Amino acid sequence: MTLADRMLSPLEHDALTELVNIGVSRAASGLRQMVGGEVLLSVPSIEVVSHKAAAALIGEREGSDLVAVRQDFAGAFGGRALLIFPHGASLDLVRAVVGDLLPDAEARSLEHEALAETGNVILNGCLASMANMLERPVTISLPQVLHGDGATLFQPEPGDDDGLVLFLYINFSVRNRRIRGYIAMLMDLPSLAALKLLVGDFINRVMNDDTVGP
Amino acid sequence: MTRSAHRLRAHPVADGLDDQAIAAAWAEAEALGGPMLVALRRSAMAMVLTDPRLPDNPIIDINAAFTELTGYAAAAVRGRNCRLLQGPETDRATVAMLAAALREGRAVRAELLNYRADGSSFWNALSLTPVLDALGEPRFYLGTQTDISGARRIGSVETTLRTQARELDVVRERLRLALSVAGAAAAWEWRIPERLVVGDERFAALYGITEAAAAAGISPAAFFAIIHPDDRARIRLAVGGMLRGAEVFSKSYRVVLADGECRWVQARGRSVNDAAGQPDRFLGALVDITEHKRIEEQLRIAQTAGGIGTFEFTYGFATVAVSRHFCDLLGLHPAAELPVATINGLVCPAHRPVVDPVTRAAAGDVTQREFEIERPDNGERRWLTLRGEYLRDTESADLRLSGVIYDITEAKRREAQLRTLNGTLESEVEARTRERDRLWRLSGDPFLVADQAGRWLAANPAWTEVLGWPAASLVGRTSEWLEHPEDAVSTHAALTRGGGESRFEGRLRTAAGDWRWLSWTAVAEGGLLYCVARDITAEKAQALALAEAEARLRQSQKMEAVGQLTGGLAHDFNNLLTGVTASLEMMRTRIAQGRYDALERYIVAAKDAASRAAALTHRLLAFSRRQTLAPKPVEANRLIGGMEDLVRRTMGPEIEITTRLAPGLWLTLCDPHQLENALLNLCINARDAMPGGGRLTIATDNADLGGATARASGLPAGEYVELSVADTGTGMAPDVAARAFDPFFTTKSLGQGTGLGLSMIYGFVKQSGGQVGLVSRPGAGTKVTLLLPRHQGSGPGEAAPAPPVRLPRARPGETVLVVDDEATIRMLVADALRDRGYAVMEAGDGAAALELLREAAAVDLLVSDVGMPGGLNGRQLADAARALRPGLKVLLITGYAEQAVVGEAALAGGIEVMTKPFALDALGLRIRGMMDGPPG
Repeated sequence: MTLADRMLSPLEHDALTELVNIGVSRAASGLRQMVGGEVLLSVPSIEVVSHKAAAALIGEREGSDLVAVRQDFAGAFGGRALLIFPHGASLDLVRAVVGDLLPDAEARSLEHEALAETGNVILNGCLASMANMLERPVTISLPQVLHGDGATLFQPEPGDDDGLVLFLYINFSVRNRRIRGYIAMLMDLPSLAALKLLVGDFINRVMNDDTVGP
Repeated sequence: MTRSAHRLRAHPVADGLDDQAIAAAWAEAEALGGPMLVALRRSAMAMVLTDPRLPDNPIIDINAAFTELTGYAAAAVRGRNCRLLQGPETDRATVAMLAAALREGRAVRAELLNYRADGSSFWNALSLTPVLDALGEPRFYLGTQTDISGARRIGSVETTLRTQARELDVVRERLRLALSVAGAAAAWEWRIPERLVVGDERFAALYGITEAAAAAGISPAAFFAIIHPDDRARIRLAVGGMLRGAEVFSKSYRVVLADGECRWVQARGRSVNDAAGQPDRFLGALVDITEHKRIEEQLRIAQTAGGIGTFEFTYGFATVAVSRHFCDLLGLHPAAELPVATINGLVCPAHRPVVDPVTRAAAGDVTQREFEIERPDNGERRWLTLRGEYLRDTESADLRLSGVIYDITEAKRREAQLRTLNGTLESEVEARTRERDRLWRLSGDPFLVADQAGRWLAANPAWTEVLGWPAASLVGRTSEWLEHPEDAVSTHAALTRGGGESRFEGRLRTAAGDWRWLSWTAVAEGGLLYCVARDITAEKAQALALAEAEARLRQSQKMEAVGQLTGGLAHDFNNLLTGVTASLEMMRTRIAQGRYDALERYIVAAKDAASRAAALTHRLLAFSRRQTLAPKPVEANRLIGGMEDLVRRTMGPEIEITTRLAPGLWLTLCDPHQLENALLNLCINARDAMPGGGRLTIATDNADLGGATARASGLPAGEYVELSVADTGTGMAPDVAARAFDPFFTTKSLGQGTGLGLSMIYGFVKQSGGQVGLVSRPGAGTKVTLLLPRHQGSGPGEAAPAPPVRLPRARPGETVLVVDDEATIRMLVADALRDRGYAVMEAGDGAAALELLREAAAVDLLVSDVGMPGGLNGRQLADAARALRPGLKVLLITGYAEQAVVGEAALAGGIEVMTKPFALDALGLRIRGMMDGPPG
């Protein structure tokens, strides 16, 4: 990952992973409250890649039939956050959230809404806790459900085609359903530079915190 | 250690394996082995053909794939035993097993370590199959070789891998037991609000503190203190995350124990929140994984070396943990985790998925299968083998599939090649049949099927093109109506002559009325004649034109040589004449002085000069006489000896001439005149190459050419007579030498040569079954060598020197009439005859002679010159004289053996011819003979 190497030092990479870990842990707890059941979320890996590589990566792994929940965020660092599922997995998630008792047709009619809400819980929890950890406020837009392939989802906004994607692989376990998905944060270079600075601050705080406590 | 390949390369290649023998062996092997062998030979499968009937079962030939595999070219292995592939580490027992199978004549397969020409080794899956002859005895052995080094390597790595995987599982199991039963893991409870880490007794042991101190709790700083400095920041960050809301902790890192020893540990933990949802406690445990790490490292090395990708899939999970090489093999970006769907999505339809999340197996089951994938990065299709084992997961109690994959595309490809070989053969036969049919219709060569009586049954469309007759008018009858009446062999007769296969040429009439030459090949099979004819009319015409042109060229070449000679000869002749005339003058002087005793030396000198002049003219005449190639046994040394004089005169004084003639030189069969012509031409070329003088060497030798030397000269092996002409002249540049034999190629300026000399020589020598060689370097002279086949018959017959005879004299009254316009000759002849006792009359021309004949009472014999002025030549005079006196004997003397003038038919009837110059004694003998013979 030369891009990631250029962007983040190994320690920064570790720190970012921990930040995301904290974020998805929060999100999982939110989701847990929402579905009233066991929810486990984990992030095995994060990568920093270009838009094109992100699209290729997800295309290679999941094909072109994708569903995503999109939320834009702004603040000290800003960009676009995407929670991406392969098409089948999104239905599984909806089914996990709304429960097995609902008839299929009804579950399907709820899909859009359920996805938007689930996405909001996860992305919001993730972003908010990261902002919290980095001690910077972030405003987050309302969720939007998108369908399409990697290229569509990762199409850069006009003017920020030099941006990068923070690409997170996540495993979900909701009520014993195993669901995989991705979180992608599309940020332009200034935002990434700001994030890098904040991550550095976070590292300093943790390292200098001899008492080790919040 | 000496590489076996080097040692073996010094081995001599058996003789006798020339191209013909190899081709014959193939033909025989293919006849015995059938189309399978033909296809094999052409296939990408390496193969050798050996002949067990020759000593040490040598290789007869190999195919191109063998060279590709082993690096040995065909020439390097022919005649050698297959063991040239063996080397120091080749298993002797396997070799012995192969040898035993060969002795018993049975087929055998084995895998053994072989060595290439460059000394590198490879695992060879060898298959030896006897090709049996009609008696069931092995006639040949066919060996096929497949490089299975890749599979071998994978095999051995896999064994290691399995051992290590088992070890790993043992370790894991031990860990699990340690964790669950004995509490071998050091456990801690991080009380977040109190900033205290409380540990159990193992934690105390690990940290080198008392159990009590551990139970009381240590500071977070003390917790981090034993972590290896390189890992500390990472772990502090991870713990920092846990303290700030992260739920799961799983890290491996190094700790440095009190005694300084460094150990790898795996730490896992979870956070527990308080009622408000804030992190309250962080529970963790760590186990020593040093051994585990070591094995993992070995495993990684083994995997990388073997090109093996590993994966582990736990049932219920959506992802598969994979190694980097696993991703490489699938053509995916490197990742530690891959979605199941991603991996399975690469598998080509009709193959089972790599990981089947639905089908369950029992712990301990082993799965192995091959499947084909399409790589997403380059679209290439590859074959992979998967081997996996189902294990009970120690953590989730779920089943997990732990396995490896490796690439087997190459092995698959070879396998497929072999499998399709048979199929290919069948389709080839089919294609050939179709081809034959297509050939019949499309060929430009006329094809014909006829019955045994020569009646045409089917003719292909090409006939109409060649002869202009519609096919319908050709079939149903024999070819007799089309044949040329003057053909030596009728086409119909040749066709029906019988025998398996016949070849002949004949002419057939076209619809337009002209003639076409056809070259036929007819094969009798199943009561029918299958014939292919080829229109060779153009070739025939060309050949004829060529022959004529060649004859003309040869003649012009001769004339050119004569022209070259004339200058030298004129000069020579004048010298000789001077010798004669000067001698005569001296004789007259001495006679006038009365010194008769001094006459003899002048007589000898004059006679010598005259006979040398006679030899010169003889040779010149013989040389310019038009000759077709008339081969006779030739003694080259004698021929050269005979022309040495001529050569010497042609060369001039500045060129030294050396002859090195091998004693006991064999005979050769060729046209002596052409050979003379050839040598003379070479000498003239040599002279022209030495304008400033030099040395000309004419040499002969016997040459017994072995296979290789003969092949290099383009000749069959055998005995040859070698003639060479070498000069010390200017020599030729390579490009000039290369074209030296081309017709009309000359370096001489216009008018000095036709450029035909060497090409004519080349033509003559080739026609005589020999070869011409030329060696030349600028400034170092030129040597042209003629090789002519040895002739085993008897020699040309030595003209035995005539025994001294008693000079015959005239019987009383015998009268001779001598006619010659040249007074000197007339006088000499007349005086010589008078000396021998004849009565002699003389006449200066034909008319005077006839006059005398009418008047004189008795004339027994007429001696007349042939070429005479005055309207009556010798021949006409003879006829007229015999009209006057029937039965008159006539001797014509001529300086020119002009048969046309003399008239061959008349020679039988008492008219004889004698060629000038002649010795007077010879004349006397001839006349005596005629006088004693029957009347004309």
